[in-house]
Amino acid sequence: MGRFLLLAGAVLASSVALILFLKWKIQTMAERYRLPSGQLPSAKGVLMFLLPLPVLAAAAVSLARGQLGPLIGDAAGYGLFLSGALLLRRGLLSEGEYDRRRIAKVPWPFKTLGGGLIGLATAVTAWLGAGHHPAIAAAFGLAALLGCYLNYGFDPRVAKRVTDGYGVDTTDQVLEALAQAERSIVAIEQAGRDIRNAELNDRLRRIAKLARDILKLLEEDPRDLRRARKFLNVYLDGAQKVTEGYAKTHARVAAPDLDDNFRRVLVTIEEVFQEQQQKLLETDITDLDVQIEVLATQLKREGVI
Amino acid sequence: MPDFLRKFIGLLLIFAAVGVASCQALVASCSSPANALPTVSAPLR
Repeated sequence: MGRFLLLAGAVLASSVALILFLKWKIQTMAERYRLPSGQLPSAKGVLMFLLPLPVLAAAAVSLARGQLGPLIGDAAGYGLFLSGALLLRRGLLSEGEYDRRRIAKVPWPFKTLGGGLIGLATAVTAWLGAGHHPAIAAAFGLAALLGCYLNYGFDPRVAKRVTDGYGVDTTDQVLEALAQAERSIVAIEQAGRDIRNAELNDRLRRIAKLARDILKLLEEDPRDLRRARKFLNVYLDGAQKVTEGYAKTHARVAAPDLDDNFRRVLVTIEEVFQEQQQKLLETDITDLDVQIEVLATQLKREGVI
Repeated sequence: MPDFLRKFIGLLLIFAAVGVASCQALVASCSSPANALPTVSAPLR
């Protein structure tokens, strides 16, 4: 009877933990779906979550049959598999972000750590779960580690750096400014979710999109950062504060005057952002014009044209 | 080594190591004798 109660308690506790985990995961995914980029969560590294599922089933069977040794082996193996898969997925996502960006720091070696944990998990499962000799289990682990390396590769090891006109490394400053701006945009979007007005929400979405386009331009040519300092420090910051303030007040009282004022502010912000984007694009065109002019002069001087 | 070949070999190794070890662990836990299940002994003659 005591053993039955223990078993029932363990099953109940693991079911509750699983339900809580799934609830948290669904909430996180729902938050992600709300992101304006509209991107679905990436499926990178999902294989490493699916392949070890029989180990979880083995742990459940061992628990039901009261086999303590295999239960510990399978549970430890599955825990290591899950940790390794999470680290590997994080590493793959960081690598994707690193590839997408033109300026980036070296990401943490999550892929390597994940591969190592998956190798260890395979060895533990083969030894304690399947009952292989430790040497054979180690061979299983090495094969899994090698497979992870060949299939997923190592983490990037070189930072994508940028220097200003005087040759000074400004990578950290640029990344900090871009991260700060991104935080402001996210804050605007979050505040926008509390505002129950379709027109204002549309305006806020357009503003966030414009701001992201400007950040993309700045990332492509960080020399523009100096020119866009006012946009980052004054307008973006101001837009964030006004939107957050309006979202708080709007939730408590309904004031038509306030709505009109806020609408006017948003129109102004949108115009300013459009001007800023135009200026950055025009600067690029001017730079290109100058380069073409210089090249044409050089070619003329050398008698090519 | 071409990229696709490297990835293919890696995938094969992952399936061979992780997949096989996982399935063997499941088979081992199902096939080994249960400790907790009550056993009914045959009556003594």
